[in-house]
Order: sequence, then C-alpha cells, then structure tokens
Amino acid sequence: MPDQFALQLTRDLDPADLRHVLAVFETDLARLVGLLHDATEAPDAVKFCRVAHQLAGAAGAVGATALEDAARLAMDNDRVTPAGMEMSGAALAALARDAIARSRAFVAKLP
Amino acid sequence: MSTRVLVVEDTPTQAELARVLLASLGHEVRIVGTAAAALATAQEWRPDAVLLDIQLPDYDGLALMRQLRDAGLGGAIIVVTVNGSINIAVEAMRGGAVDFIVKPYAKARLSVTLANALEKQALARELAGVRAQLSRDSFFGFIGASPAMQAVYRTIESVAASRASVFVTGESGTGKELAAEAIHKASPRGGRAFVALNCGAIPRDLLESEVFGHVRGAFTGATSDRMGAASLADGGTLFLDEIGELPPEMQVKLLRFVQTGMVRRVGGSGDERVDVRFVCATNRDPHAEVAAGRFREDLFYRLYVVPLELPPLRARDGDVMRLARHFLAQFAREEGRGFTGFAPDAEQALMECAWPGNVRQLQNVIRNAVVLHDGDILDAAMLPPLAHRAEAEPERADASALPPPPDALLAPAEIMPMAVMERRLIEAALARTGNDVVRAASLIEVSASTIYRKMQTWRAE
Repeated sequence: MPDQFALQLTRDLDPADLRHVLAVFETDLARLVGLLHDATEAPDAVKFCRVAHQLAGAAGAVGATALEDAARLAMDNDRVTPAGMEMSGAALAALARDAIARSRAFVAKLP
Repeated sequence: MSTRVLVVEDTPTQAELARVLLASLGHEVRIVGTAAAALATAQEWRPDAVLLDIQLPDYDGLALMRQLRDAGLGGAIIVVTVNGSINIAVEAMRGGAVDFIVKPYAKARLSVTLANALEKQALARELAGVRAQLSRDSFFGFIGASPAMQAVYRTIESVAASRASVFVTGESGTGKELAAEAIHKASPRGGRAFVALNCGAIPRDLLESEVFGHVRGAFTGATSDRMGAASLADGGTLFLDEIGELPPEMQVKLLRFVQTGMVRRVGGSGDERVDVRFVCATNRDPHAEVAAGRFREDLFYRLYVVPLELPPLRARDGDVMRLARHFLAQFAREEGRGFTGFAPDAEQALMECAWPGNVRQLQNVIRNAVVLHDGDILDAAMLPPLAHRAEAEPERADASALPPPPDALLAPAEIMPMAVMERRLIEAALARTGNDVVRAASLIEVSASTIYRKMQTWRAE
C-alpha cells in the first residue's frame, strides 16, 4: 500500500469511509492470521485453504496485491501439506503484518 | 434511483467496501455472509439486486443463485468473482445472473454494472409482461387469444381505472355483457355492485321504474317502494344493454341522470344522488341510430366516451376451437358427460362454420351436442345441423326486429293441447332471445337441457 487500487479507493471513498474500510481490513487480517495458525497447528488443510481464500479476498479488496497473490498460491490444494501449511502460514502472516503496517501508514497520510 | 442491494459476501473487508461504495451511490444495502442468511434476507427484504460472491463458506454460490432466481427473489443478480474464476462467472450468466463484476472493482465500474443490470432486469420484466399480455388466452370471463381479442383486453384494461362511460358495440352473441362485467371487475368499483339492465327486454311502461325505481302507489301494482337499477348500482357500474331500444321519452330522463347524477323515483318528489359508471351496449350501429334520429345525439355523446367494439367470432383467428373446447369441458361437467375432445371431422365442421350468431351460437351448438349425446369424443354427426353450414344465414341479431311471439301466447283464452302450447312458448322464448337457448330457458324458468331435448323431439317428429 498504496498501490494503484488503493489510490483508486482514495478517489472513490471519502477519508472517513476509507479509514473505516481499512480498520475492518486490519481486524479481518488479524482474525484470519489467527485462523491460519489454528489450521496449521491442527493440521487442517481444508480450513487452511478456506482461510487463505478469505485472506486473498480481504487483501484484494484494498489492493494489498502481494498478500493476495501469496494467499491465492497457498490455497491451491495440491500444495497443501502440513509442512507446506507451516511455510505458507508463516509467509502469509509476515505479508499480513506488512500489509497492516502499510495500511496504517496510508491512513496516517489521509486528510 | 435508490435501490435495495443485498451483498452476499463472507469476507468482512470486501463486504464493508461494497457497503460504503453502494451507500455512496445512494443505495440501501444489507450484508450477509452465508447462503442461508441470503435466502432469509431476500425473502424478507425483497432486494432489487444481489451482489453475490459465488465462493461462499456454507454453500455453492451458483446453487444459491438458482434458488433465488427460482423463488423469484433477488431481482438482478450480479456475480462477484476474481480474475481466475471468469469461467464460473460465465457459467453463472448462463444460469441466470444478469452480469458479473471482477474484484477488486472501482466505484464507477460498480455503478455502471449495477445500473445496467437493473435496467436489463426491468426490460426483461417489461418484455415478459408484454408477452404475457399479447398471449393471454382468457381475460375476466372471455376466452380467446386472437389478436382481435388481445386488443379488446388492452382497451378494457386501459379504460377500467377511469370513470369514463364505455359504449360497447358488436354483433349479437359477441359478449357485450361480458365486456361490461370485465370493465367493472377490472375497475376500482369492482367490489361494488354491477347492475345490468336489458333495455330491449323491459316493457316500455315499466322502463322508467326499472331504471329509477318507484314509490308505493306510483302506479297500479306499485305496492311498495322499490329501488331502481341506478340506485342499486350506486358506487358501482350500471350496464344498459340494448340501449338503442330506449324510447325517446326515456332517453330524455336518462340524459338528465347522466348529466346531473340525480335520479327521481317514479311517483317520488325528491331527487337522489347516485354515483355510477355507465357502460352501454348495442348491436346496432349507434352512429346510424343517431343519424336516423332514433337516438338522441346529446345522450349518445355523453355515453359514447370510450368506444369498445367486440369482434365477431369469424374475425377471431383460432378462437373457435379454443372456445369450443372450453364449452365442451364446461357442459360435459355440468351435464355429467364423458366428452374429452372433438373428432377431427367435428373440428373441421366447427372451424368451417361462419358463426353468424357468434360465441352464443357456438355455445348453444356445443351444449346441444353435449345434452343429446355422450361418449369420449364428440364427432361431427353429434353436432346440430347449424354447425355444418359453411355459409349460414346470419342469425337475427336484433331481438326487437324479430317477429312478435305467436299469437297463442297473447291469447291465453285459446285452448290447445299442452304439448302445442309448450312448443309455442319455447319457440316464443327463443324468438324473443334471438335463439339464445340459455336466456330462453331462463325466461320460462326451465333448464337449457330441457329446451334442447324438446327441440330434438320436434326434429324427430
């Protein structure tokens, strides 16, 4: 953040709405990363894929493209093994933290 | 334009983004995250459009879309997808989605997609409505899908809501009273009285009393106060059939009523305000009647506000067999017969007939055949001779122009065998009603079947 789509959002939404959406995004990511961790621990590949799908959706909504792309790769069933989940889960958690940090920085610059 | 948009989305960030974008476009928005909640909300809230994420946690989004569509819920369904699932979006479109939108979407894209989808949906609905209107095979008691009858249905629908007087013309047996009833039922007055008065069937000296009522002692036989058809129709519709038969003095009184809305009972001293919608009918050419001076021009133009001309049966393409099947089913049920259809030779005979007596003649022919025969299939041999005539003489459409009833009926002192008297009475009733067996039967208070059986016996003699 901000990428092309996030810039589009600044044109489409007033700052209050944009802050609201990004706050929901932050909460969403925190919840989804927690669920991803649970799925990895279980290990539960089905749940992992479902959570990765939601993570991709949330990231895509605000233009966090790196996280979205990684989440879409992680939800590919063929690659979901316990080890794969652990690796992907960690990578996704890191990308989510990065996306949250970028989002906060973006919000801080909003009028 | 504010519309209700239901967002079916299980990812909170996506859902909130859709909410703020749609709200900023002026729409009412509700968000649900599951298919079950989507169905419940669509049922209760009746959205104009649904923004549907097809990858839901609890259900297949395509199946949900089909359920919404089959239940007539959801309005315009727009599938939300990601780039990688365009094929699914195409499948959704084939399954009834109006459009699809790819995530992430900008406000302008969402606005255009939604507007297009709503417009497309409205056009589809309008088209379906027009198609349904153009292909109606029945309408308030009318049976018929011919273009000529579709035009009649449209006129009735258009005029029903108005208070304007309607002047129904058409040959005898085309359904003028049915048209009047349809106008009444389709109108805001539909829940009030519909009073029909056949001006040609009421003796001249009783006409005023029949229309306006009378007070006790107004004339010999007026033993009590009696409301007239106008007062009985207050708030509803007054149907004056065969209005061309009104004598000149009665036309003057009717004109006053039409102009003022006030009626005065025969023998009464005060006026009474009555609110009726007039529907009039005649099987004569009303303009010719006015030109000949037999019908007052001022009254005519008061009543001839909306003309409605009913087509003769010969001008109603395809309706003869539609009506014949309807009557066959109806009369077979009423008479306890087993007929389920027509043999090809009967169909051919029915379709070749010119039907100068129109629907009433067809109705009588079918009733005659059903009363006198039984079986599974009604064939040509069961039809009375009239139906076989390819170029039948037009029935006497104008009851008033018919020869007067046999003298025997006017000379009760004459003594004759009961069977002869009975035949004369029935023939007189048929003559009076223009060979309408049902109405003739009603006049002499027997069933139509009785008349048909008698006619069969006379033919055999």
